[in-house]
Amino acid sequence: MSEVKTQEFRRASAKVLANAKLQSYLGRSMGTFDGARAEAIEEISPERWEELRQQGREIKRHTLDNLDYYLEMLQERVTANGGHVHFAKDAAEARAIVGQIAQTRGLKLAIKSKSMVSEEMGLNPFLESIGTEPVETDLGEYIIQLAEETPFHIIAPAMHKSKEEVSELFGEKIGRPNLQDIEAMAGAAREVLREKLVSADMGITGANFLVAETGTVTLITNEGNGRFCTSVPRVLVSITGMEKVVPSMEDLATFIRLLPRAATGQRISSYVTHVYGPKRPEDEDGPEEYHLIIVDNGRSKLLADPDLREALYCIRCGACLNTCPVYRKVGGHSYGWVYPGPIGAVVSPVLVGLERSKDLPNASSLCGACKDVCPIKINIPHMLLKLRSQISEGSPTSSTKASFVDRITSKGYRRLMSSPRLLGMARTLGLLAQWPFSRGSFIRRMPIPPFSRWTRTRDMPALAPKSFRQVWKERLEEEGR
Amino acid sequence: MIEGVGTPSEQFIASVREALGRKAGPPERPYARMVEERASVEERAEATMERLSANRRANVDELARVASLRGWVVHRAEGVEDAVGYVYQLAQKLETRRVVRSVEDVFGDVPLDDALTSLGATVHVMARGDESAGSFDPADADLGVTGVDYAIAETGTAVILPRRGVSRVTSLLPPVHVALVKPSQTLEGLDDLYLLRRLAYLRDGVDAGSYMNFITGPSRTADIEQTLVIGAHGPRETHMVILDWGL
Repeated sequence: MSEVKTQEFRRASAKVLANAKLQSYLGRSMGTFDGARAEAIEEISPERWEELRQQGREIKRHTLDNLDYYLEMLQERVTANGGHVHFAKDAAEARAIVGQIAQTRGLKLAIKSKSMVSEEMGLNPFLESIGTEPVETDLGEYIIQLAEETPFHIIAPAMHKSKEEVSELFGEKIGRPNLQDIEAMAGAAREVLREKLVSADMGITGANFLVAETGTVTLITNEGNGRFCTSVPRVLVSITGMEKVVPSMEDLATFIRLLPRAATGQRISSYVTHVYGPKRPEDEDGPEEYHLIIVDNGRSKLLADPDLREALYCIRCGACLNTCPVYRKVGGHSYGWVYPGPIGAVVSPVLVGLERSKDLPNASSLCGACKDVCPIKINIPHMLLKLRSQISEGSPTSSTKASFVDRITSKGYRRLMSSPRLLGMARTLGLLAQWPFSRGSFIRRMPIPPFSRWTRTRDMPALAPKSFRQVWKERLEEEGR
Repeated sequence: MIEGVGTPSEQFIASVREALGRKAGPPERPYARMVEERASVEERAEATMERLSANRRANVDELARVASLRGWVVHRAEGVEDAVGYVYQLAQKLETRRVVRSVEDVFGDVPLDDALTSLGATVHVMARGDESAGSFDPADADLGVTGVDYAIAETGTAVILPRRGVSRVTSLLPPVHVALVKPSQTLEGLDDLYLLRRLAYLRDGVDAGSYMNFITGPSRTADIEQTLVIGAHGPRETHMVILDWGL
């Protein structure tokens, strides 16, 4: 599995927050994505968009609720189409399958089209270790492969890199120094990668959708690298999370209307590639061998929890990242694993373990923007709340316990809020106690734990001199007069 | 094939079933689309074909409009000469040396080879057993010409299916791609395409084809600073020539 750093969320995000250049840059980039999405929805009309979201949601719900049935159908059809289907319960199994394919067939050069699951598996270092050269061919993925980093964003992996940084990287790693403009950089990458694209013996792709009824893998891309991966190499391997299935080819119409619009604001991407299996005798070219690897890697934990199952409806458009006030500040790497942002804050803790991801579900103001922009209407805030409660109260899959302070605080809060008399007394005490710390209407620093921990990263509104009940009473009396 | 690695399918699927707390078998609440009889799918396809033929003019107009929004250079040719002339002029402008094209019926309607050869360009066809292919590497071509199987008005998309004489790379390797579209190939929306392809699979299984490619305008990337660059790994320039006669 790729390295997990979810436990370092606080430290990593503090570092990004302190980086003024990255901050100004992030806000702009996210705004671009968010604006493009909003325009695309305006164009198709908000009413139609709502209809499509509902359709998408219902298809996903039905499929996930009956996933075993549709996986069986998918396996049967891909096999009938001449492909091989493999199942991997975790990252290690998935790596072993890819390794076996590469080694038994002597494959030396693997061109990869974007696959998040391959990031989960840490596939690239593994391929290198068995002597198969992995080459990321999506420009963003290629940049972060050269930089030896992980994706910053689901659909724009290298969005945190300025063109100056890319220029430097290309000078250092691929011998193309002093490129000034972005077009020249894209051109250089195109030239260097073209050689790999036409000579690779192994193609590795992810999958955006898997159609059970026809055994079809669907890839949505803009650069054309996905088409190379599915056309040129003699062995093609698609690696995918098990949740990507939809029942029928006709369901694709809904998702192809949803995904590019939500992701980049496009009516459709430049390429949509549908793979049914290896080439047929009458085909001019195409892969001689086709493998589909279906990966669980913790997804069945999401499936088994009725509160969290809908996290698997995600079609990886990145809209919730672009709109999230937290992601827009802390960026993708702070989340510490493959999936960042609001959806990552749900998926990562379950996939890598709640114990070491406690900060992720808390890294949200629960403003609900993620749910509003989600093309599948996934209720992310609700799931974040569920995870918070699992963190403090434990769950069937996690043994975490609330801290002593948390427990007495919430117990005390419950008592206080259910008694007007106690609340009044606490207010009077609070007014006295806050006096040395409050400046204006805020308490900016408190000296003793646990309060000091709270005010280290946020300001606390001070108690107002008059309570709402008091103000209300006075108003009524005034009006009565 | 691949032995001793991975989880056996029965075991994997059983664990998914267990996570769901479900019994084996089809969905309790069936999905209307998946329990539809073949005859009903065929009826819908027939109705679709009738609708398409009745609305052909409007669909071709919409195709031309959306395709140019999506980055195609669209030319509506009024006759054979016009279509050949367009490709001729394009090749002239690009100083084309090597053209690669597929082997399809559409080249019987629009004979390009002589015109292109008269420019001094060589025309290669990407088909097995073709002598002219020889040692030619399609990656060296500077222009690729193909027909299409369908064109979708809703998205401005050319759809290419596999068949003898149609290589996957003719529309991918050269920096410029020309797609020849017959009005009768125009579909109104994605629903029409997927209905027809679904039916084809229900009838013929994998004989309906090993892949299906959608092409919508030039290849592009915005992976550096969200700045759009046209021309990533695929063609930087795409032309849609609509053979707009004899509707």
